[in-house]
Amino acid sequence: MKPLKIGITGVRGIVGQTFTPEVAVGFSQAFGTYLDGGRILVCRDTRASGPMVRAATIAGLLAAGCEVIDLGISPTPSLQLAVTWLKADGGIAITAGHNPSQWNALKFVRGDGLYLNPTQAEELLDIFHQGEFAKATWDQIVPAIQHEDPIAHHIELLKYVFDVEAIRHRQLKVAIDCCNGACSLLMPRWLREIGCEVLAINDDPTATFPHAPEPKPQNMAQLGAVVKAGRADIGFAHDADGERLGIVTELGQPLSEELTFALATRIRLQQKTGNVVTNISTTGAIEQIAATYEGTVVRTPVGQTYISEGMIEVNSVLGGEGSGGVTVPELHLTHDSAAAVGLILEGLARDGRPVSKLVEELPQLTMLKHNFPVDPSRLYSVLQNFRVSVEREQLTCDLTDGIRVVLPEGWVHVRASNTESMIRLIVEADETRSAQNLLDWARDRLNR
Amino acid sequence: MRAIPTLKISISGVRGVIGESLTPTLLTRFAQAFGTYVGLGTIVIGRDPRTSGEMVKQAVIAGLLSSGCRVIDVGMCPVPTIQLLVRHHRAHGGIAITASHNPAEWNALKFIGGDGLFLNSGKAREMLDIYHQGEYSKVAGVEMREVEEMPGAANLHIQKIFDVLGPLPQSAKPLRVVLDACNGAGSLVGPKLLERLGVEVIPINVTPNGLFPRPAEPLAENLGDLCAAVKEHGANIGFAQDMDADRLAIVSEQGIPIGEDYTLVLATLYVLGKELGSVVANLSSSSVLQEVARRFDCPLFLTRIGEVNVTEEMQKENAVIGGEGNGGVIYPRINFARDSLTGMALVLHLLAETGQTITELVNSFPTFSLIKEKLVCPSNKISAVLRMLRHEYAEYPLDVRDGVKVMLPNGWFLVRGSNTEPIIRVTAEATNEATASEIIAGVYGQVQACIDS
Repeated sequence: MKPLKIGITGVRGIVGQTFTPEVAVGFSQAFGTYLDGGRILVCRDTRASGPMVRAATIAGLLAAGCEVIDLGISPTPSLQLAVTWLKADGGIAITAGHNPSQWNALKFVRGDGLYLNPTQAEELLDIFHQGEFAKATWDQIVPAIQHEDPIAHHIELLKYVFDVEAIRHRQLKVAIDCCNGACSLLMPRWLREIGCEVLAINDDPTATFPHAPEPKPQNMAQLGAVVKAGRADIGFAHDADGERLGIVTELGQPLSEELTFALATRIRLQQKTGNVVTNISTTGAIEQIAATYEGTVVRTPVGQTYISEGMIEVNSVLGGEGSGGVTVPELHLTHDSAAAVGLILEGLARDGRPVSKLVEELPQLTMLKHNFPVDPSRLYSVLQNFRVSVEREQLTCDLTDGIRVVLPEGWVHVRASNTESMIRLIVEADETRSAQNLLDWARDRLNR
Repeated sequence: MRAIPTLKISISGVRGVIGESLTPTLLTRFAQAFGTYVGLGTIVIGRDPRTSGEMVKQAVIAGLLSSGCRVIDVGMCPVPTIQLLVRHHRAHGGIAITASHNPAEWNALKFIGGDGLFLNSGKAREMLDIYHQGEYSKVAGVEMREVEEMPGAANLHIQKIFDVLGPLPQSAKPLRVVLDACNGAGSLVGPKLLERLGVEVIPINVTPNGLFPRPAEPLAENLGDLCAAVKEHGANIGFAQDMDADRLAIVSEQGIPIGEDYTLVLATLYVLGKELGSVVANLSSSSVLQEVARRFDCPLFLTRIGEVNVTEEMQKENAVIGGEGNGGVIYPRINFARDSLTGMALVLHLLAETGQTITELVNSFPTFSLIKEKLVCPSNKISAVLRMLRHEYAEYPLDVRDGVKVMLPNGWFLVRGSNTEPIIRVTAEATNEATASEIIAGVYGQVQACIDS
């Protein structure tokens, strides 16, 4: 299958193959048409293809009559905050987030700083496919403006939301791995401004990705070594555009990305209880933590936009996903790794114990993940057959997103990937053996 | 009447109206086709000050980067400067973003080869074939580069002119010059050059904001402000540039436009006075140029119209000077391009060294009257018009290399389709205005009748 994915998360593909300048120009024209001109912000992460995609995007937006403010290299959450700050009508973040360096993508942000919801994304797609875009005449085109420092505003708001004095007082030593991404410009600066001693690696935005940008344990070995050697209190790993966060304990131990949101939930609910919103394939530890602090959990389909919408609906105190994205609503309703860092440092500072102790107190569950490629034409029937065979066993399927089944030992979630032609199978149980059993159980029914 | 399409894809490049035909998708595809054509090389890009310039430039950058080129962006600067920089950087090509004399709603891409010359028709056809085929080279995203910005590139151009021609000879009273840059690409560099040469400059229309203070072509009827300013300030000369600063027209010390074709005449007069050699011009150039060449006993070669045809012939004949009758001066010691900056420097040297006025210099030649007209003409009618003329004037000597040029006993006329607009141009020259008008009126009527039929 050609790796171009046009969907509700925007348009993403491999540059040099499917993600061409025409695609970027066309989608930018469509977005400018959708917003009927207006002021649009543009930012990018540090990928080598960024300048090409940026040029195509600006050309498309200008041609559609938009006023463009270019934020240059900046984390996506910084753009999302700048949309309201600069009174813009929308934004385009040029980043493939956690995808490897050969990918790039356009992500579309509305006037309130959130991603387009599924209905809006479909409207945008309809305009793109129709191919009739607004065309500015010569006297309506104004050159793009370069914004000098969009990150300052982000840091100012972060300082306002979190207990900076408590963090400063603890004199924390923090190791960070910015993956040479957009966070290179934000994280060291924000941590130093709140009095942390910073050990930064991979913080050169002009360099290439030193490892895959997904903040998973297999990509955090270098950070683990830095934490240990530098005797840091904690280590944070960032993806390319500042959405996902991975954690290394003071012992140099990289944590599963599932634990980022679990730790954030524990810290947040300890401060103030309420509704927590997460997707249906995130660890069940969230319910157990919520039960301890008398909070409740609302589950949504997988994807940032569903978390944002769910949080608005139930007025929640925290949102997040097992992939390492955390949303702190006091700042904004979108995943923001700088906000996740603020929340966790605040928790560490107030608790006083090392991070490994806090992690030890989290529910210890085993999650197993298995992906297998499926021909795109068979994705639906594979899922449908799975559902039929499960329901034949008198079990209830949760169809919020894919198929989720609760069994006595734990749960099983099967869904089609948003970005690739594969089935994602996730199981979770109290112990490894039960989890393995669940995996086998699901595989049997998927292969049938 | 059928609507005249606003997109013109030709060997001169791609040109269209912003907000109609010249879309970012089309532009980015053309840039990819050019990037594919030149291979993974260095490309110099620059633009004139049109309001759409930035949009067009971004679309071009995206296409070039996608096809693996290294892009040097020289920003807003004259087209001849871009051509000079292509050679200077030993680049593989260049793209000039300008619709030269077209009105403000137009824009265009002009493609420059690694030699600093515009692509000739053969090369341009190869590039167009790649464009139409639609399969462009693509480098992997991880191998793409940042654009290299190079503002102040025009300083290099000024330095080159100064190095070759030197300062003007010292005189008690410096020359006083009015420059009308049409708010074009020469707005910033023109006054700098003139100051460097040591003349007193009175600049008008030097705000490069993309708004046209007058029609961009430096024709007599568009130079009212310049003529008034020359008189008001008692200047020795007035210079008028077009939007992309390749063409140059001159207003005399009396505040009278001397006609675009005299720019090349005066430049040639100066150059041949220093160095004898071949002269090359296109076949619509004034007979006065023939007089200058004859005065120095130098050969004059006439070519098809279009800058690249002249520059290629100049290389072949090892010419010392050349150009086009529309005010385009090509002086190869500085730049193998029509270059209004070089043109100004040459004419000022002529003034300073001869001590004569513009009027005196012009009057030293026998008078000719050159008249230009244009008619709107759908492209599918052009060949019928030319066929009709070849038939009607078969008894006279004809030159059919580019349109139809007819040598009449009392003068000549040329009829040809424009490469850049859906129009037909009619040019006629005779020893006096009445005869020239008479010739052009007759031809105009025949052409119009043929279009309407």
